[in-house]
Amino acid sequence: MPPREGTYGLLAEFDTPSDLVRAAQAARRDGWRRMDCYTPYPVEEAAEAIGFHRNKVPLVTLIGGLMGLAAMFSLETWISVLAYPLNIAGRPTYSWPAFVVPAYEWTILWAGLSAAFGMLALNGLPALYHPLFNAPNFRKGASQDKFFLCLEALDPKFDLIETRAYLATLEPVSVVEVEY
Amino acid sequence: MANEHHVNAHAKQLPRDLGAPAFVDGWKTRALVIGLVFSVIAAGLALLDGSVEHVLRAWLLGTVLTFGWAVGGLALLMVQYVSGGKWGLLLRRPLEAMSRTLPLVFVYWLVIALFIKKLYLWAQVDGSNPSDIASALKSGFINEVQAHCLEFKRPMLQPDMFWLVSLFCFAVWAFYTWRLNRLALDRDADSPANTPAWIKKFENICGPGIVVYALTMTAAVIYWVMSLDPTWFSSVYGLLFLVGQGYSVLALSIIVSIGLSKAEPFKTILRQTEQHDLGKFTFAFVMLNIYLAFSQFLIIWSGNLPEEIPWYLDRIRGHWGIIITLDFLFHWLIPFTMLLSRDIKRNKRRLTAVCAWMLFAKAFDLFWLIEPNFKDAARNLHFSWGILEYAAVPAAMTAFWFAFYCTRLKMRPLVQINDPHLAEILEPEHAHA
Repeated sequence: MPPREGTYGLLAEFDTPSDLVRAAQAARRDGWRRMDCYTPYPVEEAAEAIGFHRNKVPLVTLIGGLMGLAAMFSLETWISVLAYPLNIAGRPTYSWPAFVVPAYEWTILWAGLSAAFGMLALNGLPALYHPLFNAPNFRKGASQDKFFLCLEALDPKFDLIETRAYLATLEPVSVVEVEY
Repeated sequence: MANEHHVNAHAKQLPRDLGAPAFVDGWKTRALVIGLVFSVIAAGLALLDGSVEHVLRAWLLGTVLTFGWAVGGLALLMVQYVSGGKWGLLLRRPLEAMSRTLPLVFVYWLVIALFIKKLYLWAQVDGSNPSDIASALKSGFINEVQAHCLEFKRPMLQPDMFWLVSLFCFAVWAFYTWRLNRLALDRDADSPANTPAWIKKFENICGPGIVVYALTMTAAVIYWVMSLDPTWFSSVYGLLFLVGQGYSVLALSIIVSIGLSKAEPFKTILRQTEQHDLGKFTFAFVMLNIYLAFSQFLIIWSGNLPEEIPWYLDRIRGHWGIIITLDFLFHWLIPFTMLLSRDIKRNKRRLTAVCAWMLFAKAFDLFWLIEPNFKDAARNLHFSWGILEYAAVPAAMTAFWFAFYCTRLKMRPLVQINDPHLAEILEPEHAHA
């Protein structure tokens, strides 16, 4: 793929989470969809404001957990009943109470790994490059004390002049054009 | 918060009247009516059954259940003073009210103590009298293991010690209840400048108090519940009840807080964040509870020793397997899967439903613990009119307890003022649009 050129989007900077949430809600109301919020700490209202929908990580975690449970329980059953049956204190070879603890541990392990790697697979991390870091104020403030709303050029409503004027109505501290 | 000045501009104001809302009286009336209805049902069942045997067993269940709220509430009150946190400020007054229901629990317990001979094998057979044991053994009333245990455990398992230990425990709990409730009012009457000193003072009382609670509670449940079977012992028993009390106290606190949040002052102070936190806390107790219950089972199952395993066989064989399976589903699987969900924890109506279910599951678990101790029911789950007392009597006792709890709740303002968490709990959550 050839390197992308042109404008990634327009980045509006805000001083407080409340200003950001208000601006994001307004943009969503006015029909914007390709946009994102960037905050130094999680602001759940901002995610709601831009129409954040559910992701698949919980489902991946559940499936991973169930796979771990099934895998370990089957492994233990196979070993104890078929592969290497042992008479332990006269108990039946299929003694499920003894299988519970490892099966439980594998449920947790697989659920945890599925959550971590599923999250990475679904959110595109690790990313070696992101255009937003071209904006100096983003580099400086995004992980400290600034709150950003980016309207992306992919949105059909996007127009460099009009969108800049629109963002100005949301009263940001500044609006910066971000290059790819 | 990133920008304190800005956030404070949005902070909510505490309402002027901090008293419990008027509908708590309505709760009380409803609870009294439910209590009366179930009392009538319990009396009818006793007539049908033709004995009060099961009434007493079910009474024991009701006593242990309400004891869990009163003394478990006291324990969680101490925990929140030591740990701090906004959830603690939120629950402080509801928990104080729970701890002040101790007199009613004492009355409930008195009935057990007076009918001690109807419930406990060690009260029926005098272990210090060899001829008494021999004749009981001969008539087949007890078996050899029981005879040995009655004799060996006589210094502990006898009516005098039962009274002595129980009264001592009640005295200790009453002391802590009185002290913490008293000081909480003094703290609010004092100037806010002294709050740091008050916080230290509460920590110093509650830290040792939690240890004292764990020991006295363990002693009490060993006497009241575990000794129903004089042959059995388990070192994790007290801890199981301790965690069980956390389980049921949190579930009840959530129900009460959400119920109160229909009106001021809880409408203002119960934020979604703290509700979510309480849901997570309850989830932890659901996990810990099954962890301990299953560990006890796994260890005894693995050992498979003749001193220990009969206790489980009494509770698995003869159709009790159905009850223990249901207990596992009710007590763990259902609350566990429900509380995993973030949406349920943040939804008032659904979280209330899960917590109400947990209270039922707790009572169901106690039924499984108590009933198989008796000779007619061990390894033999069978229908009798009497067994339905396990539903009627605890329901009536819980309802009366709740009515009493409502009167305690109305006694003082529902929010403690002199607490640094108050400002935080009045802040908007994250951001406000």
